[in-house]
Amino acid sequence: MKTKFTLIAAIAGALALTTAIAQSASPSGPATGKRPNIVIILGDDLGYSDMGCFGSEIKTPNLDSLAKAGLRCTQFYTSASCSPTRSMLLSGVDTHLNGLGNMDEWAAPNQWGVDGYEGYLNNRVTTLPQVLKDAGYHTYMVGKWHMGKSPDKIPAARGFERDFALLDGAGSYWDMANFTAANPRSTFTEDGRYLKSLPKDYYATKTYTDKIISHIEANRGDGKPFFAYVSHQAPHDPYHLPRNWRNRHVGQYDKGWDVVRKERLQRQIEMGIVPKGTELAERMWFLPDATLLAPAARAIMGKKMELYAGMVENMDHHVGRLIDYLKKIGEYDNTIFIVFGDNGAEGADLFKMIAGTPGTRNFLFASMEWSQTHPNAWGDPHTYVGYGPMWAQVSMTPFSHYKGLMGEGGIRNGLIVSGPIVKQAPGTINRSVMHVADIMPTLLEVAGASYPKTVNGQEPPPLIGKSWVKMLAGEAESPRSEQDYLAWEIFGNRAVRQGDWKLRWQYKPYGTEEWELFNLATDLAERHDLAAQHPEKVKTLLALWDDYVRANNVILPSRVLWEGQAKQLPDRYPVVDGYPPLLYQKQFIPPPNMLADPKP
Amino acid sequence: MKSGTKPRREGGRIPSISHSRRLATAMLALTILGPMFALAQVPPRFYWQSLSGANAVPVIFQSLSGNANPMDPAYVISPDVSGSVDANVAIVGYAKMLPLFDRTLTLAVLEPMGRISGDAIVDGRSFSQDATGFGDPMIELGINLIGPKAMKSIPDLLRYEPKLSLNAIVDIAFPIGEYDNDQVLNLGQNRWYGRVGAPIVWQIGPWVPGRRTTLEVLPSVWFFSDNNDYSGGRTLSTDPMFQLEAHLTRDFTEHFWGSLDSTWMAGGESSIDGAGLDSLNNLGVGLTLGYQINDNISLTAGYMATVNDSDPGDLQMDGFRISFTYGWHKIVEGQKRLKAAE
Repeated sequence: MKTKFTLIAAIAGALALTTAIAQSASPSGPATGKRPNIVIILGDDLGYSDMGCFGSEIKTPNLDSLAKAGLRCTQFYTSASCSPTRSMLLSGVDTHLNGLGNMDEWAAPNQWGVDGYEGYLNNRVTTLPQVLKDAGYHTYMVGKWHMGKSPDKIPAARGFERDFALLDGAGSYWDMANFTAANPRSTFTEDGRYLKSLPKDYYATKTYTDKIISHIEANRGDGKPFFAYVSHQAPHDPYHLPRNWRNRHVGQYDKGWDVVRKERLQRQIEMGIVPKGTELAERMWFLPDATLLAPAARAIMGKKMELYAGMVENMDHHVGRLIDYLKKIGEYDNTIFIVFGDNGAEGADLFKMIAGTPGTRNFLFASMEWSQTHPNAWGDPHTYVGYGPMWAQVSMTPFSHYKGLMGEGGIRNGLIVSGPIVKQAPGTINRSVMHVADIMPTLLEVAGASYPKTVNGQEPPPLIGKSWVKMLAGEAESPRSEQDYLAWEIFGNRAVRQGDWKLRWQYKPYGTEEWELFNLATDLAERHDLAAQHPEKVKTLLALWDDYVRANNVILPSRVLWEGQAKQLPDRYPVVDGYPPLLYQKQFIPPPNMLADPKP
Repeated sequence: MKSGTKPRREGGRIPSISHSRRLATAMLALTILGPMFALAQVPPRFYWQSLSGANAVPVIFQSLSGNANPMDPAYVISPDVSGSVDANVAIVGYAKMLPLFDRTLTLAVLEPMGRISGDAIVDGRSFSQDATGFGDPMIELGINLIGPKAMKSIPDLLRYEPKLSLNAIVDIAFPIGEYDNDQVLNLGQNRWYGRVGAPIVWQIGPWVPGRRTTLEVLPSVWFFSDNNDYSGGRTLSTDPMFQLEAHLTRDFTEHFWGSLDSTWMAGGESSIDGAGLDSLNNLGVGLTLGYQINDNISLTAGYMATVNDSDPGDLQMDGFRISFTYGWHKIVEGQKRLKAAE
């Protein structure tokens, strides 16, 4: 076994070296002066409104402190799903060209074997860490990778000097347990080697933080800046959490999701995150009004949200440890922090999809490994808790939809940028349209590096992002012009945005399978389809969509995960609060002076 | 319901006063342990709290053998006369949990019933006594002092973890059980008695069915009034007695658990017409297995025996106990009816 790993490592090293040589053709060289360190903190499935500074009741003092010192951006976009977002973050290239045209787990038959749909970050693109390393940065990565597992695809082969990485898309926070019979163990790497076991006292969020601090510490003082990609697994399900973090919100969510959404929206309006008058998105039609549920049902579902809140707070705690460390070593003031979630909050029942039905091998596997279901055990190893679509909508307040879907709740996320490149007043809220692919050109500019002209002997796909540097410096309102547009496609759902207008197409039952038009300046919740009133705008945006498809080789999938869901879910009708009145009418109490006993 | 004394060998006469005293000494010793085997020894996990408004009917069956009467605090079988007593006792009760100032109040009543028979060989002659019928009913009043607040809703129940819980209990037995002053073996004791105690439940580790572990301790002090019509009109007096029960319980599965049990009793020196008997210092150990059959019914089975009983004068007793408890709450029952109607 040792020989095998040595061989793999040698191949990986050779590949990495080859890639480095091929990609080092055109670095512009380190900029003069002390360049800033860069820390990217990625929350997995972290929702738009889950940080305190974006209106949450969840306590995130450390993340809030970054927002207070820096900038909050309210119109920041990602993909609707995780590895596509990660691929754009690290490559700056559209997903349909960088290998994550679809998630590996859901690639459709007509996408198999097609360039851009490999299911991992392909070798036609370079990576942000690779370019930064070539430009003289130390490059460190901890946490979830999810962009390939073979030696030529792991973090060490894609530009990271040091890593401690979970290669899978999710897994236990406590150990190497994964979810299916075919893939029972998560795969981890540390510094380019595949781990046989995990460190003692492993807990994902804690260990990732320990490791990134140790990476920084190991090279501290050599004069080189560092790039640290802290790709937290949290708060992705399963909600595994140390016991002392589980009971910080006991009973707080029993009031139900609609109440919490309203409270968050109110805070967002007060903070200026969203404009006054913003509506809440319609509650998903298949979700009940929580006020009509029995206390026990509300308590059980509320407990899931309690756990999720604990996950976010625990992550914030460990972010605080990193911040404290950087302050202690005197690097905090020279460090850029970029914080965001990788897509909308998770509303799907992932475990149900994975565990399958009785009689399947995955069900048998789940029975053995993931069957601890008692609420008091939630958070322990062998438990699998996700909070469901009702709380995902809360996490995405005030938007519609969640992860995987093309509503703003699927693709918009809260972004914090702080550090020396932010020259606006501390705590400023920026409302310009931004995209995860902007990070690559932004950080190349910060580092004084340039995008290589060739990668592995070929011209790489173009960067699709826009640098934020001028905007962060207060020299520009937005990194984009009114003519620039953004477009998305994942799982067959698609959207395009230019200015305030957004055109959206979604599979039933979540969408209409027709193009719908929304004006986000007045309708953040995407409640009012204006396609019929503005056919010329539809036409304009459709032309942009077609342009996007051509430029990025978008192949709509022949199979999608939405198949059959219209039959599984209830028929869709508009959700109107208080309807039907029958369920809300209260006991009539007659005037006391008109009460009487029956006559004999 | 009957009681009687019948000679088994060589005619029927009640043992002489000296013999009775010797018998009483041994039985009194067992009386100290008696509650352990009979009324006072509650199953492990008895003091876990439940939903306010919950009801429970326990039915406890005990089969006991030893050298003393488990129901009578004054009946002694002296070891040098090789006396023995067998008892088959059932205890039926009712318990209800209520909220009181946000704390859990427990009200319970227990009624013993059954059959006791005893053998004694005195001066080469053997006598047999037996008693059947109802014993003294006992009520228990308990309130939680430290620990979770009263559970008034199912969400409270879902969130229940005892952590460290301390209750205060008061037990009082009413002397209205079957009693015959012509014999020393009786189900009733013809005197008031009771105890005050402080059950403690200490949760060790997570409160997850299948993994729950508790250490449960019940220190208590028993008090007895005099029996002024004891075996021919004499007076039986008993000093207060200290009892310490302890259970280490552990889930094996979500519904199946076990417990190591022990009980220790000290003091409780008795006297008959002023003539003092030995005070008690007895230790019993045992084990219990429990199973939750369904939402309503739980079952326990246990065995306990004295361990410091090697000397001829020591108390010797062992016993099996099986308990069924049927519990219900109107919310739970209502939900079942609705589900059944679907």
